Amino acid sequence: MSVNTTSQKLSSDVLVIGGGIQGASTAYHLAQRGVSVTVLEKDTVSRHASGVNAGGVRLLGRNIAEVELSKAAMQRWQQLDDELDADTGFRRRSLINIAADENDLDSLRSREQQMHSLGYFHEVMLDKRELLERLPHVADHCVGGVVSEQDGYAIPFHSTQAFRIAAERLGACFCEGELVEQIRKVGDSWLVDTKTQQYQAEHLVNCAGAWGDLISVMIGDNVPMSYSAPMLMITARMPHFAGPVVGAVSRPLSFKQFENGTVLIGGGAKGFADRANNTTRLDYSLMANGARNAIEFFPIMKTACINRMWSGLEAYMPDNLPVLGKSMRAEKAYHAFAFSAHGFQLGPVIGEVMADLITQGETRFDLEPLRVNRYERKTL
Amino acid sequence: MFRSVTKQQDPMTAVQVTINDTLVSVVPGTTVWAAMALAGETATRVSPVNQQVRSAYCAMGVCFECMVEINGMPNRQACLTEVVDGMQINRQVITEATIAELQTELKVEPQPQDVTGNLSELTATGSSLAADVTENIKTGE
Amino acid sequence: MTEFFTPGSSDSSAEESSSISYDIAIIGAGPAGMSAAITASRASVSVVVLDDKPRSGGQIYRNVDASPLPDAEVLGPDYIKGAELTTRFRRCNAHHIRGVTVWHVGDNGEILFSDNGTTKRLTARQIIVATGAMERPFPIPGWHLPGVMSAGSAQVMLKSDGLVRDEAIFAGTGPLLYLIVAQYLRLGGKVKALIDTTPKQNYLHSMTELSGAMRAPGMLIKGVGLLNEIRKSGTKIVSFAEDLKILGEEQAEGLSYTRGGKEYSLPASHIFLHQGVIPNLNMTQALGLEHDWCKQQLCWKPKLNRWGQSSKSHIAVAGDSGGIIGADSAAAMGRIVALNQLVNLGVISALEGESEAADDLTFVASQQRFRRFIDRLYRPLDQQRIPESPGTVVCRCEERTVADLKKGFELGGREPNQLKSQTRCGMGPCQGRMCGHTVSELLANWRNQPVADVGYYRLRSPMRLVTLAELSQFTDVTPKAKKTEEVN
Ligand SMILES: Cc1cc2nc3c(=O)[nH]c(=O)nc-3n(C[C@H](O)[C@H](O)[C@H](O)COP(=O)(O)OP(=O)(O)OC[C@H]3O[C@@H](n4cnc5c(N)ncnc54)[C@H](O)[C@@H]3O)c2cc1C
Ligand SMILES: Cc1cc2nc3c(=O)[nH]c(=O)nc-3n(C[C@H](O)[C@H](O)[C@H](O)COP(=O)(O)OP(=O)(O)OC[C@H]3O[C@@H](n4cnc5c(N)ncnc54)[C@H](O)[C@@H]3O)c2cc1C
Ligand code: FES
Repeated sequence: MSVNTTSQKLSSDVLVIGGGIQGASTAYHLAQRGVSVTVLEKDTVSRHASGVNAGGVRLLGRNIAEVELSKAAMQRWQQLDDELDADTGFRRRSLINIAADENDLDSLRSREQQMHSLGYFHEVMLDKRELLERLPHVADHCVGGVVSEQDGYAIPFHSTQAFRIAAERLGACFCEGELVEQIRKVGDSWLVDTKTQQYQAEHLVNCAGAWGDLISVMIGDNVPMSYSAPMLMITARMPHFAGPVVGAVSRPLSFKQFENGTVLIGGGAKGFADRANNTTRLDYSLMANGARNAIEFFPIMKTACINRMWSGLEAYMPDNLPVLGKSMRAEKAYHAFAFSAHGFQLGPVIGEVMADLITQGETRFDLEPLRVNRYERKTL
Repeated sequence: MFRSVTKQQDPMTAVQVTINDTLVSVVPGTTVWAAMALAGETATRVSPVNQQVRSAYCAMGVCFECMVEINGMPNRQACLTEVVDGMQINRQVITEATIAELQTELKVEPQPQDVTGNLSELTATGSSLAADVTENIKTGE
Repeated sequence: MTEFFTPGSSDSSAEESSSISYDIAIIGAGPAGMSAAITASRASVSVVVLDDKPRSGGQIYRNVDASPLPDAEVLGPDYIKGAELTTRFRRCNAHHIRGVTVWHVGDNGEILFSDNGTTKRLTARQIIVATGAMERPFPIPGWHLPGVMSAGSAQVMLKSDGLVRDEAIFAGTGPLLYLIVAQYLRLGGKVKALIDTTPKQNYLHSMTELSGAMRAPGMLIKGVGLLNEIRKSGTKIVSFAEDLKILGEEQAEGLSYTRGGKEYSLPASHIFLHQGVIPNLNMTQALGLEHDWCKQQLCWKPKLNRWGQSSKSHIAVAGDSGGIIGADSAAAMGRIVALNQLVNLGVISALEGESEAADDLTFVASQQRFRRFIDRLYRPLDQQRIPESPGTVVCRCEERTVADLKKGFELGGREPNQLKSQTRCGMGPCQGRMCGHTVSELLANWRNQPVADVGYYRLRSPMRLVTLAELSQFTDVTPKAKKTEEVN
């Protein structure tokens, strides 16, 4: 493969803004098809959500609008290491959402009905005995749950880097420290300015994560996106007590125990986001709630010691679904952002969708519910 | 061996602690690490990564080499903790292969035969619980 | 006057704004923290001091009020004189919360600490970080083995628990190393050998730092005096040693070194290593303060003005945590920083602050020349800071070696945080304390760039392991709280 020259970088078929997993996966899929692609990243690749997330590879409990995408992504994860010739750290472990009471079981039953009617059978309910069999350390009061067998986890930083390195092998360019400040369409070309360079391309992809709305506006699409800072904590190594990834039906609980014994605890609590300065601040009293929940569901967690806590910047849409698809206002511009805290799992398929849209003009997935202007009429 | 050069202590004030199952008597105010060093029990933990024995390095709280199990709680820094009468101090042996013991009070009412069998197997066998469960998944259980 | 931080601004939680703030919170009760507290405690000012030791004193004056030794005088006059400071500290008005570990300090004034299995929280308008120094890690082959400890640990064990280890080797460089060996000998401890790695040329280079104004720096005389004392005792001293290696596979069995190109080895079951001290960075880094690489001291330190004020105006750093200055300067800086914060709080005028601090400011400035000399003389060898041997452990928690890091570097870990994500180096419970400086210097070497461009780990709370159980219980501490912790 030829070494990337400066002219190749500055002028390519496709410019991707954002070096997270979506940008890296998009670059990989395009490069695979022989399309020249340059990724502009203002910091370093996987510096943000894609490098610091909880690594959950989850199909369980997906919004119906995302199920097809998530299923396709899940298939890809099972062989991703071979495909990318890298170690993403993916482990298939199953994911169980625990029901704490009868109400939880009721909501699981109605979800099951809905899924079955749509022809989806990957979510399987567990009774108390089955739950205990899979999670012997679960607290006594838990009454059952639901499992998705293909689910698991991967190591976020390694996964994103794996896409990046595979893309680079195929000729894609990644430019770090390049903050996109201005975007213009001149004739058939997108002209993109950073502080010191001007980049030019026929197609433009917005994979700017928590900054996606800013890029979107530069392209011409307005979105009611918000951003926040979901928080995580990880323990020192513990004796192995949970093989599956664990969540709860109606409680902010989510954790996984890695092979090395450390336990990553999430649960959706959010800290304070300051995206202009690339920083976040943690809300410790909310962390305390998470700690209480973990102990309540798994008494063994009393002996857990928190080693690190952190949060990352993530973009959300009001319906917690991503913006995915073509720009409504401009030709040859595409969006893939606002994954609302569950975009990591979708990474492998998002690049494929973007590459399909760019090279074929269409995709096999129904992106109607995810279109960028889906809120336009409603808000007026 | 470590040796004490302290002033004479009143034996009546001594506190008793258990270090790796041996009862020892120490001066109040002693750190757990010093009690261990005096008792010749200098191995604080086993490295989780390569299973080699490790011991305290800095004695002032920065290196985390002295993590021991105190009264059942792991990851206690021996050099920062003072002894308390009746304290149970144990070498910390949490490696990447350690399986958690099932706390009996957590078990629910009598289970059908196959489940109890399965449970004891999970805790008794040396293989990791995680691996067992993945195995179950693979075999379609 | 500097701007105040107001708790409860924009996005802080409701709970936060409802609690009552201290005017000044001081973290660390060493010479810097204690002096700051004495100076700051005035009638109208609420001051809280948090320290993780059961007794105040910090590193140098550790246990000076309650020495377990039959005769603490053997530790030397520099130690004994600390009793005067701890006494004044005890008598001052500050609320001293002892035996608690601070694991989070936010630039919003929030301080979280572990107290007997629960999490407590307080807020303060101004913060003084006085968390002191730690010994510079000594990454040589085998330094991770049982039987190898830092020489500072020998002193800590002596001061806190009256423990000695006979027939140990002491190796490395620096005045503290000689002091500890001398203290050992005075207590009847048997020292196998002192292996001194101070290179010959350091003696020459350091002389150039001596300006005409100061012919005989006190510290030099002290160091020479200590070495003489050790020599007179008949203890074996090897000078100009290089290429230190710990012998043994699972346990230290001795030390090998070269001298004048010849290799020697000395059997011993215990080895104490030391090559100076560096700021304990975790709190200042986690606070997001700006830091610089100090070429003179070969360490990172927070950017401070002469009043000890950091890049965040309501946070000051005093004592060795802001750069190594020694106990007397640490105490002076404590007073200077406290006066500045009193000015910030509007308790005294800038003019009053300036005049009250004048002597201390002059003293601290004058000490800097001595520092340059000491730093040059005892500058640790490159080979003892930037390990080359592939098998040398850099990250003790995760057992990552030079070879592991080199591999991670080649896979794209070009900066400390990327290298950490790539290799887990620095991810363990010590939060990079033991590997951070080594990683910065290794990467600088591999990239062939200045250390300043490489940077340090981005750190986050908790600064120590916190149990999930203690995190789950939160209580607030306010200035109104009775001084129950104060037991004399
Ligand atoms: C704490 C946390 C836990 C999570 N847990 C999970 C989980 O368990 N499972 C899951 O599936 N998902 C999870 N997520 C969500 C997931 O991480 C994200 O949805 C996903 O990583 C989004 O990828 P991205 O590439 O869109 O965004 P990012 O990784 O944020 O990448 C966007 C990049 O664009 C760059 N950029 C922005 N503006 C510009 C500009 N103007 N010029 C140049 N570059 C720019 C940014 O610097 C950034 O690097 C979690 C998220 C967080 C924060
Ligand atoms: C092991 C060791 C031994 C030393 N011995 C000597 C000596 O004998 N003679 C000499 O001249 N110099 C000695 N020094 C150098 C010493 O650092 C300075 O002389 C002097 O003690 C610096 O004072 P300070 O107030 O800046 O910090 P320190 O005296 O170190 O005080 C800092 C205090 O903060 C506490 N602390 C730190 N982090 C936290 C936290 N997160 N929560 C709560 N409390 C915290 C510490 O426990 C300590 O009590 C020694 C240094 C070390 C590391
Ligand atoms: S010995 Fe270093 S932390 Fe206890």
